[in-house]
Amino acid sequence: MINYIPILNILILILFSFIIIIVKNNKKVKFISLASNIFVFFLSIILARKVLTQNIITLSLGDPNNLLGIEFLISKPEAVIGLIFTFVMVMILWYSNFYLEKEVSENRISFFYLLINILLASLLGVIYTNDLFNSYVFIEISTLSACGIIILKDKKENIKATIKYLIMSTIGSGLVLMAIAYIYSITGHLNISNIHEIIITNYQFHRNAVLIILGLFTVGLGIKSAVFPLHSWLPDAHSSAPTPASAVLSALVIKVYVFMLIKILFRMFSYEIVNSFIIMDIILLLGSMGMIFGSIMAIMQKELKRMVAYSSVAQMGYIVFGIGLGTISGTAIAIYHIIGHAVTKSSLFLISGLLIDKTGSKKIEDLKGIGKEMPFTLGLFTLGAFSMVGIPILPGFISKWYLSLTCIEVGRVPLILIILASSLLNVLYYFPIVINGYFGNDNLEGKIYKAKKIPFINLLPIILLVISMVVIGGMSYNLIGLFNI
Amino acid sequence: MDILLTNYFETGAIILFGVGFATLMLHRNLIKKIIGMNIMDTAIFLFFIAKGYIKGKEAPIITDSFKGVSNYINPVPSALMLTGIVVAVTTTAFALALTIKLHKHYNTVDLDIILRMRGDQND
Amino acid sequence: MNFEIFLPVIVPIVMGLVVGIVKPSYENRNKVVIITTILNFFLVLYVVFFKDNSFYHMVKINEFLDLYLHPDSIGKIFAVLVSSLWILTTFYSIDYMGKSKNLNKFFMFFLITEGVTLGIAFSGNLITLYLFYELLTLSTFPLVIEKGSAKALNAGKKYLIYSFFGATMVLFGIILLYSQTQNLSFVPGGVVGSLVFGNKNLYLMVYILLFLGFGVKAALVPFHSWLPSAMVAPTPVSALLHAVAVVKSGIFALGRMTYYVLGWRVIEFTEGNKYTLILVLLTILMGSFLAIHQENLKRRLAYSTISQLGYIMLALVIFENSSYIGGMLHMLFHATVKITLFFCVGAIMHYEKKTELHEIAGIGKKMPKTMISFSVASICLIGIPPTNGFVSKWFLAIGGLDQGNYLIPIILLLSAFFTAAYLIPIISTAFFKGDPSKKIEISEPNNFMLIPIMILAAINLILGIFPNAIINTIQIAAKKLF
Repeated sequence: MINYIPILNILILILFSFIIIIVKNNKKVKFISLASNIFVFFLSIILARKVLTQNIITLSLGDPNNLLGIEFLISKPEAVIGLIFTFVMVMILWYSNFYLEKEVSENRISFFYLLINILLASLLGVIYTNDLFNSYVFIEISTLSACGIIILKDKKENIKATIKYLIMSTIGSGLVLMAIAYIYSITGHLNISNIHEIIITNYQFHRNAVLIILGLFTVGLGIKSAVFPLHSWLPDAHSSAPTPASAVLSALVIKVYVFMLIKILFRMFSYEIVNSFIIMDIILLLGSMGMIFGSIMAIMQKELKRMVAYSSVAQMGYIVFGIGLGTISGTAIAIYHIIGHAVTKSSLFLISGLLIDKTGSKKIEDLKGIGKEMPFTLGLFTLGAFSMVGIPILPGFISKWYLSLTCIEVGRVPLILIILASSLLNVLYYFPIVINGYFGNDNLEGKIYKAKKIPFINLLPIILLVISMVVIGGMSYNLIGLFNI
Repeated sequence: MDILLTNYFETGAIILFGVGFATLMLHRNLIKKIIGMNIMDTAIFLFFIAKGYIKGKEAPIITDSFKGVSNYINPVPSALMLTGIVVAVTTTAFALALTIKLHKHYNTVDLDIILRMRGDQND
Repeated sequence: MNFEIFLPVIVPIVMGLVVGIVKPSYENRNKVVIITTILNFFLVLYVVFFKDNSFYHMVKINEFLDLYLHPDSIGKIFAVLVSSLWILTTFYSIDYMGKSKNLNKFFMFFLITEGVTLGIAFSGNLITLYLFYELLTLSTFPLVIEKGSAKALNAGKKYLIYSFFGATMVLFGIILLYSQTQNLSFVPGGVVGSLVFGNKNLYLMVYILLFLGFGVKAALVPFHSWLPSAMVAPTPVSALLHAVAVVKSGIFALGRMTYYVLGWRVIEFTEGNKYTLILVLLTILMGSFLAIHQENLKRRLAYSTISQLGYIMLALVIFENSSYIGGMLHMLFHATVKITLFFCVGAIMHYEKKTELHEIAGIGKKMPKTMISFSVASICLIGIPPTNGFVSKWFLAIGGLDQGNYLIPIILLLSAFFTAAYLIPIISTAFFKGDPSKKIEISEPNNFMLIPIMILAAINLILGIFPNAIINTIQIAAKKLF
């Protein structure tokens, strides 16, 4: 029975999304959506427990030989990522239950929950699946539903951001589909494990084709996961979307595609194959550039949510950097950063939403003195910022530390400078918010202590996210040990 | 050159893909961009289906009686592309709907002009 | 379980948070702060006398993020210094900060900083030290910008950026080091050992990175300029920053790095100390030279700190038994001396609203006890026998001579001359300038302020005359190293 949890998760979410359409009452919609997500979260816990003892679960649908049917393969990274993602999603839904009305009109609220359910289902699908074409379909579903949650806020900039996102990701998925066509024409399989068996012996005969395939996958999935310099859609989309949607997009959606890239590079091909092509160096270069330029652009932003969105570009740089190192440990850190950043960035976005809502301004400069009015909320933001900057024990530090060690391991010491420079740049855009929020006479003048207090129960999802962030930092050693692809 | 001619399906598909990609990237008009997107998708469908086509074999639809596996073309790509077409149609529909919305708000479908306008000014 | 070791670190932090969250009234808060610092002093003493060679593991996340405390003799000396001076500063700042309402935040970070500094003192490995080092930056930052003016904010940002820049270099060094040794714990003589052979350049890089990185907090030239800027802080904070918490933590971390992680034999093999020696000598000379030109009393003392820190760092680049003893002695003596000087200047600022040199003419007659304390401390700093400054400089000079480096005693003498040149004018202006005929009423500071100053002045004198107890303790620690 436990073996069927992956497909059960997806089916439950999609099934409930259909129920959500029928139900008219917004309160019931919220309840149904939250309940289904919590249920899926518990199923993911069971699944993760099973996978941790049993190593790997495969589930063949349609065809036991995996020649025609679809296979789900859940090893430890998939199980942990699925678990964290469902957890983050539950927290975001909890938050949006009291927040969403502030940004989205009454009659569209049920659409949000409908789309969120479909989105999570497709994200889990991409994570779990071991079949290329199936992953393509899930990727498309997730893109469309992600576009949907951006456009829920019926403003001009949202439509603009959505069309930009849609066009960019259509290019991306076109490239991915082309790559799938190539790989199918070489190997005659769509199952990643089957392809691996064939390609590992034959790749020497198809070096050009393999290079094209690698390039197509990297660029295609790179566009979707906003790898620098293909990120131009991200700041618009993530900053204009309603805050819970921004959190979902930044914390979960872009991560899934990069995880897919990891699966393709290292599970479908192998370290040996990909390292023999120039593509890994290019990925490493893109990652390094993302880390630096993402941060620099974040420094120049004047709006809070745009800044946090650009910070996502920089953080994707870390993940891509880890992949680009082309070693097992590098990939493990990339996956660790995926989950670490998922909890951190979702909490940062949710807090930004509260700050913007209470001050009534999107601008960073209007947040001066907010620490006096909302001390606890800004405190949570500070903790998230600490993780980004790299204070020991928090996940951001762990990623940087292990990335640096891996750099030394592969003999590329100068790259550490990039990691450290990027973390210094993080200081430059996160700390001014905290400093101007808490300190300075000019900033605090006229502010009343706890004037804009938020009820504790509304802060609870963010608190849980921040706690889980600290826990993920604390458990880093065990977690990274699990992530062997 | 010979290779290109013998594999004329693939050649055609790649050319089409190029045309679609260029249209999508270079045109400023949103409708044309969407057309480019469709051309690109069609190119991939063609490429994929060409991979499953075996010369002289029938379509994998059993009309009277089963003629044995070797008498049909590979049905998998066709089946996959059916899904692909569905996805492409959905995306196109969504993009067109967005275009209508954009046209309502901005009175133009020129993406460059739209991107130059700050969206939140007139709100 | 050696939980007692953790108590001096965690008690002030918890109490600080309590102060920050509960926001008690003026009287209650003062009671809480005084009781906490005094209690903490005894907790430290307990650890010093009853916890020998014991460990307390805070968290062990993995093989490198193993955060534990392990007080050894040098750490204990530093801890006693910190916790005793903190009590005096508490009394002083209660008077100095006055009754303005928003001081709960100030005292919250004031207490947290004490805990963090003791954490640095007791750290058992480099990564724990690094954690507390980062926390120290964060907890002292609000103290620096306490005034909240735009100028203070800018100075604070400068401080923050310099500190994080340094910490980043440190982290780079730690990563490189860890990748080689897989061990960052503090062992007398270092953990590197024979690994250095064949990897000389890498260790040279590690050493330079760590030295410059920690040197930022220790106000090493050319990373010193945050220190004078940070003078916008209230005087008790400046005193603490200069005498105990920040710069001494930088020095302490440098000492740990030099003698306990890398090991001086390794550094000598890489010849890295040749380069750092130049910087250190520059620090000594530039600091004292710049101090002469400062009109503002606090800035003058700030530059003086930079130069005095150079003396201590001298002990970290000349690997001699006697210079090590001299450096450690100077670390202690400079702490007590400099805090006295700052307290006196702060008293003048607070009661007379005078900050510049030319304004304080004749103030010695108005505040005789304060200014006599100032003079005593100045004499100690200049190093006229039999004061404590003389003792530590003597050891430092001997260390230089042992190495056959005659430049060092010369520079020490030259700098002592400079020291006199920037401190004597203050004393002479205070006592001998101004209109002698004018009748001046004696108005000393409040006892909360005056008594700490006088205690400190007395300590300075006593330590100068009877330094042997401390010298013996340091000698025991030094024996393990050389």
